[in-house]
Amino acid sequence: MALNGAGEDMDCGGLWLRGSGSTLLQQDLPAPCASLPPEVDDFSWEPPTEAEMKVLQARRERQDRISRLMGDYLLRGYRMLGETCADCGTILLQDKQRKIYCVACQELDSDVDKDNPALNAQAALSQAREHQLASASEPPLSSRPAPQPPVPRPEHCEGAAAGLKAVQGPPPPAVLPNADVVACTQEALLQKLTWASAELGSSTSLETSIQLCSLIRACAEALRSLQQLQH
Amino acid sequence: MAAAGSVTVALHVAEVLETIVSGCLGPEGRQVLCTKPTGEVLLSRDGGRLLKALHLEHPVARVMVACVSSHLRKTGDGAKTFIIFLCHLLRGLREITDKEKDYFIFENIQTCGRHWKNCCQWKFISQALLTFQTQILDYIMDHYLSRHFLSIFSSCSKERTLCRSSLEMLLGAYFCGRVGRNNHNLISQLMCDYVFKCTACESRFEEVLEIVDDCFVELKVGVTGLPVSDSRIIAGLVLQRDFSVYCPADGDIRIAIVTETIQPLFSVSGSEFILNSEAQFQTSQLWITERTKAIVKHLQSQNVKLLLSTVKQPDLVIYCAGLNGISVVECLSSEELSLIQRVIGLAPFTLPEASSQYELSHTALVEFCKPLILRSKRYVHLGLMSTCSFTPHCVVLCGPVQGLIEQHEDALHGAFKMLRQVFKDLDLNYVTQTSDQNCTSGPCIYENSRENNELPKIVNSSIQRSYQDTVVKSKGELAKTQTNLKVCSNLIVPGVKLEKNVLCSGPKVAVTDSYQTEETLRCSSPNKGTIMDDHEPYIESNSANSTTENTRREISYGNLQVTKLARKDSMLSLRYKSLEMHTSQSYYFSSIPAGCVLPVGGNFEILLHYYLLNYAKKCQQSEQTMVSRIIANALLGVPRILYKSKKGNYSFPQVYVRALQTLQTNQPMISNQTGLESVAGKYQLLTSVLQCLTNILTVDLVISIERQPQEICDQDSEEEL
Repeated sequence: MALNGAGEDMDCGGLWLRGSGSTLLQQDLPAPCASLPPEVDDFSWEPPTEAEMKVLQARRERQDRISRLMGDYLLRGYRMLGETCADCGTILLQDKQRKIYCVACQELDSDVDKDNPALNAQAALSQAREHQLASASEPPLSSRPAPQPPVPRPEHCEGAAAGLKAVQGPPPPAVLPNADVVACTQEALLQKLTWASAELGSSTSLETSIQLCSLIRACAEALRSLQQLQH
Repeated sequence: MAAAGSVTVALHVAEVLETIVSGCLGPEGRQVLCTKPTGEVLLSRDGGRLLKALHLEHPVARVMVACVSSHLRKTGDGAKTFIIFLCHLLRGLREITDKEKDYFIFENIQTCGRHWKNCCQWKFISQALLTFQTQILDYIMDHYLSRHFLSIFSSCSKERTLCRSSLEMLLGAYFCGRVGRNNHNLISQLMCDYVFKCTACESRFEEVLEIVDDCFVELKVGVTGLPVSDSRIIAGLVLQRDFSVYCPADGDIRIAIVTETIQPLFSVSGSEFILNSEAQFQTSQLWITERTKAIVKHLQSQNVKLLLSTVKQPDLVIYCAGLNGISVVECLSSEELSLIQRVIGLAPFTLPEASSQYELSHTALVEFCKPLILRSKRYVHLGLMSTCSFTPHCVVLCGPVQGLIEQHEDALHGAFKMLRQVFKDLDLNYVTQTSDQNCTSGPCIYENSRENNELPKIVNSSIQRSYQDTVVKSKGELAKTQTNLKVCSNLIVPGVKLEKNVLCSGPKVAVTDSYQTEETLRCSSPNKGTIMDDHEPYIESNSANSTTENTRREISYGNLQVTKLARKDSMLSLRYKSLEMHTSQSYYFSSIPAGCVLPVGGNFEILLHYYLLNYAKKCQQSEQTMVSRIIANALLGVPRILYKSKKGNYSFPQVYVRALQTLQTNQPMISNQTGLESVAGKYQLLTSVLQCLTNILTVDLVISIERQPQEICDQDSEEEL
């Protein structure tokens, strides 16, 4: 006997079978007035906290997006299958070439994948920057992604093609900036770095510390760019 | 499949369908472009069409679309509202049950016992939904909503005349949400003209609409290649065939219908024709020719100028008819034939057996009969003289492409179905409990223990009439939708033989004799577990007076301890939770008269929402409160979408607040929308959605199979041999 809905096992403990519906209806239901199972009463339910609300809201929006995408695909002639995806539980679609397609896995970024550097360019860039920050005192290594002046974008980022074209469009400026200006900027940056590190040492709040660290990182990057300009 | 899981899956499916149909809801809705799997492109605003064009293999989706289709077949309206309402109900149910679950845990940590309780909860909720229909919805419709209804008839006395402007508003609102924006005025005017032209007598709309609805395919002609504005109404009947031979005729024209060939055949099936020589063959042929000529001559002598044939006539017949001035139309479809018979009451011409027997043949007089040419296709145009209340007219629908014509045809057909429902009375039956202080009984659950679509009708009139059949009528004639659990909303007029002291009082009704109706009551109270046979009901007389104008009769019973009567084809089993409590149930029969309408723009939904919430506050039983709240909140989903594009004073929150204020201060509701919608349609939509939801909630397990199970052929006969 083939059972449907592998993905619908989310809430079910496994396989179980019911008797025919009529036998159930002739049993006396436990408490005629209770509407909910007895172990739940209204006093134990509390309204969700802020964080939980945000998560709920995000989940609802994600679900709305999935529904809208699925509706679009259905209107384009895709077929809605009776199975759900094993990873995320969304209903699967099948196109005219009989290829199975899961909208959530293949189109929407999931919550987790946002931080995976292998999948996301932004995550890769921040990882690279963190590496450089760790080696900020040493001369810049050649661990930078590529020698092109603007940062390269992987193909699947939005506007990748346009970005690449924009990269090759205007040639890099050949004129070196004035050495005095560079020295002043470096001076200012170092002062900021000093101040920030002093503040970091004395701060007790988490948020402030994070912001100070990012300030330090930005200063280090600026310094590096300035050093490149000089070379 | 867990029942809870099926709600989540059903909600996902419903949300997907909702995103598709919500874009085209209402007068502001847009067209939706859908590519069918075959590659065709469909541009439509018709919800039913769109849903059927989708390629859905998910079982829950198919259940939903099947429910929508069966609802549309009956009422012709409301596919998009159905899906939106269903989606909101599922969302409400999920939110209610999510309160117990942990938000963040998706894996299963529940034991089997807890899961069983969840499923019991779903069954309980689905039963509560059905009892809502029987106990609460009808009660609220009857008591509260009825004072807001308008009527499309201009006078409420016995002579009701249909008000043309109200009909235009009703049809305008219907087509506004279904047909493209540039065409809907034209189509609604066309239909209005058609309805008035076809009805000979002012009070016979129901018959006319019934005939038009049944035979709509024959009453319309589609012409491609012309602009939509060329659509018009033609008096008479247009047959989709051309003349095989046409002889113009003046004066009286009579027609005859034949269903077999006039020319005798050499042999009929089941007999042998033995020829021994060439001469015999030629003699037979000669006889056939002479016979055919004789019959045709006879027809001509009867002044028959047109012969309508459902089969193909041989060339000899055509030739003879042409010689004698008789036009012939062949290969009529059986539906066209039945329409002609319905309109003029003509039976087919029976061919006489022998040459000397010429009985009085069946012919009928028509006004005219001529060919009609519509854009290079030829038709037969007949002017019939109708013997019933329907004056035949045909609608010629023009359009640039075939797809648009089909959409207009579907819209017109749906409009006729919708009008049919408007012109019927809507019966309401409900039971209220007036309980004593110590009563804690649960809801009365009426079960239909057999799946049978034929529920006998309830007599909604004086109880003095004695009726022998079981009298049950499910709400709004929705017995046709298939449900596994049918709740009969009603009113069991008790079916036990009452021998003495039967008093049933309403102010205008007096029952003097015992009346016999039958029912089966199976009492399953805790102490009395078996079926009892020898009780008589104790019927209390109730002195409640109904002073309203509606004929509302009230019968109340107390201490009904009866069970009896297993009549074989009775279909009811009534279960009381606790009989020892002194609860008296009051049964009400009422009806909403035909022609009740409300202004468009979500008025029905907002009114019902308000009264349901009021009821929920007063109600003591928690499951009824929960169900009422869920339904009341879900009802607002439709007006929210309708007013989505409006801003400022006409946005949904403003409209809602204004409506609440007028209702709370008991002022009349004013609507600034021109357009009416049928109350019966809305009510039937609500009950259809609740039944569909019950179907979905009671799904325990989904088993996918490769193909349909085969019919088990009758093996008994083989075994006997």
